[in-house]
Amino acid sequence: MHLWSRLVRESRRLAGVATIASASLAGAALAAEPPNGLVKDPHYGDSLFHFYQEQYFSSVTGLMVSQHFNRVPQHADEAEVLRGGLLLSYGLHREAGEIFAQLIEKGASPAVRDRAWFYLAKIRYQRGFIAEAEAAIGRVEKNLPPDLEEERALLQANLLMARADYAGAVAVLDGLTKSSGAQLYARYNLGIALVRSGASERGVALLDEVGKAPATNEEFKTLRDKANVALGFTALQDERPDAARGFLERVRLSSMLANKALLGFGWSAAALKQPRQALVPWTELGKRDSSDAAVLESRIAVAYAYAELGAFGQSLERYNDAITAFDRENTALDESITAIRAGKLLDGLLERNPGEEMGWFWNIQQLPAMPHAGHLTHVLAQHAFQEAFKNYRDLKFLATNLQGWTDNLGVFDDMLANRRQAYAERLPRIRAQASDSRLAELSVRGALLAAELTSAEADSDASAFADPKERELLVRLESVQATLKQLGNDPAYASAGEKARLAAGALTWRMAQAYPARLWEARKALKATDEALTEARGHDAALAQAQRDEPARHEQFAVRIAELNQRIRALTPRVAALIREQQGQVQELAVAELSRQKERLAVYATQARFAVAQLYDRAAMARDVDHARKQ
Amino acid sequence: MFNRFCKVLPLFVLVGGVALQPLAWGAEAAPAAAPAGLDGRIQDVKGDVIRLNRDLMVLEEELLFPANTQVALFVSMDVGKLFELDSVQIKLDDKVVTNHLYTPLEVQALHRGGVQRVHLGNLKTGEHQIVAFFTGKGPHERDYKRGATVKFEKGTEPKYIELRIKDSTGKLQPEFDVKVWQ
Repeated sequence: MHLWSRLVRESRRLAGVATIASASLAGAALAAEPPNGLVKDPHYGDSLFHFYQEQYFSSVTGLMVSQHFNRVPQHADEAEVLRGGLLLSYGLHREAGEIFAQLIEKGASPAVRDRAWFYLAKIRYQRGFIAEAEAAIGRVEKNLPPDLEEERALLQANLLMARADYAGAVAVLDGLTKSSGAQLYARYNLGIALVRSGASERGVALLDEVGKAPATNEEFKTLRDKANVALGFTALQDERPDAARGFLERVRLSSMLANKALLGFGWSAAALKQPRQALVPWTELGKRDSSDAAVLESRIAVAYAYAELGAFGQSLERYNDAITAFDRENTALDESITAIRAGKLLDGLLERNPGEEMGWFWNIQQLPAMPHAGHLTHVLAQHAFQEAFKNYRDLKFLATNLQGWTDNLGVFDDMLANRRQAYAERLPRIRAQASDSRLAELSVRGALLAAELTSAEADSDASAFADPKERELLVRLESVQATLKQLGNDPAYASAGEKARLAAGALTWRMAQAYPARLWEARKALKATDEALTEARGHDAALAQAQRDEPARHEQFAVRIAELNQRIRALTPRVAALIREQQGQVQELAVAELSRQKERLAVYATQARFAVAQLYDRAAMARDVDHARKQ
Repeated sequence: MFNRFCKVLPLFVLVGGVALQPLAWGAEAAPAAAPAGLDGRIQDVKGDVIRLNRDLMVLEEELLFPANTQVALFVSMDVGKLFELDSVQIKLDDKVVTNHLYTPLEVQALHRGGVQRVHLGNLKTGEHQIVAFFTGKGPHERDYKRGATVKFEKGTEPKYIELRIKDSTGKLQPEFDVKVWQ
């Protein structure tokens, strides 16, 4: 099989296992989902929107911002359950525990309380407090949603297993639907625990169930293969090679576990004194990637089978080939260890597996570009390595996040400086224009007009409301009347005097007729002027207020920016130091695994050399016997 | 012969022993010891950075989108079986403020009840108008483009407006409406 396809297959397998791993966090979502899917606060829906896309960092920080602004009052408890679940997913046990404890203490609804007890139990279990976890799970009533109820049963089974009550765990698991993926894992783990504790019969029965369970996808097929491999090797250890063969035959040849199965299958045949049959799987195995321990072991197994068949020459040749291959593999492992310690593993993994956010659940999809990358498949499959690498990746995300905020804060600082400058320079100018010239003058004019209007109204002075044409007529009439007065009682102008009197009367009549409407219009206009003036004064007061308040507000922003900048500056070196430390830990985990591979190689090489020596001894003895016979 | 068999056969335990390990089922594979040392410090720093991000985002919002001018636009989907959402364009007072092309993951998140905050901005007090265009596939896989319009009054409080995609089972057509939250 080509190395690349193996790597891809391995990564798929990892992805599969991780899908199950995400079940616990999916439970948090389930617990946080609003009843009937009805979102009553859009900002809560926004957090769910990020959550459902596995953007957990955005989800939890956005949720905390919404809680700060009190934007999720309709989902207060659900929001807390979601926040607790998300923080728990990042390993913040203490804070998550406090959130759930507070929900219980404040007397949340039975549904929320049950979820809180369930998560508290989970936190305590994860931290190794078994008795406390059992106490918490005992407080869960019957208000969990069905999916979470299954998780509760699995947790209970795990708790029972943790205190070696395997019978109790079996009883709990028997109450679950057997088709569930998560409970298949639990059943598998229980089977292994039973076998290890010496209760082989029950353990084998459980593993046999998993080994024969219908599997709909690659993940569960792999789990089934794993159960069958475990059963096969248990049978081999119990010296039941025939049974072992039956179990190992169930393993798919294309499976990642096929190498182990082929090796065990060969050993079953060997144990049944059928070395020829043993050669079939071992020879097939010998063609596969030599970074696999089973493949390495097959090299001496083949040599052993030839010896069993009496083909000592071929056996010796195979042993010597194996020793050469082990030496070559040992050198390759040394090169891999050097590359890992030089940081190539982590750099390569990050480069090939970019991710958007810090995440509880994240898959290694591709192996790094490194010489002998095949050594790493087993390293990467380990839970401890994945957890440690996840922490390393999270820390790198945090470093990038802090750097991003450092840049943003710089921009905020500039923006604040610009605002401060604008307020300091422009606002006084605008206020000066408004208050010094027009506003004061308009106020005086308004007051004068009001007084004039009041006086005109008091005197019922219709001429005060004359329009321009009427005013012009009034002036002309006054002029005519003044002229007539100078002319005295000249009869020649008597008719002119009469005309002027009639015109003055008509004008007075017209103005008197228009007076009520004009008075109303004038009052209305004066009111509008007053309102405009009040508004202008209001604007001016607001500007004055802003002039007084904004510098203080800007100052508060500046203080907050400085304080946050300080927090970033304090966190940045902490994160950087932890990255270095965690990098060392992750690398040493990988190196430790490769060192174990080296140790295994050393054992194989010793076995091979010992067998070579035995073959030489045998040949020497045969020669001696021949020689003695001839003498 | 038997002697040699005994020496070689136990080798399988080296490989087979690995087969008898319990499987990791998330963080629940086995009870872990209380986080101490490096792991504990990493959890502490994660908590500190999460809280710092909250405080920074609060500052950012108060600085850039003060409550008295803030307007937030959301998109949600109720059932949504009659419409496969591709994209949305939103105009606020005749100015395009958002053009969003949806990924399958985003559409799935909307289907599950998530609500997307598609725009956050500032508006003066007074009357404003939103026009939203949704494009996608309607019933019978037909290309579908529909609009929804709303006029609203912006006061001195933040304004939250939700653009909703619904299924009209009576008409067997998707419906688009707008809910002004406050």
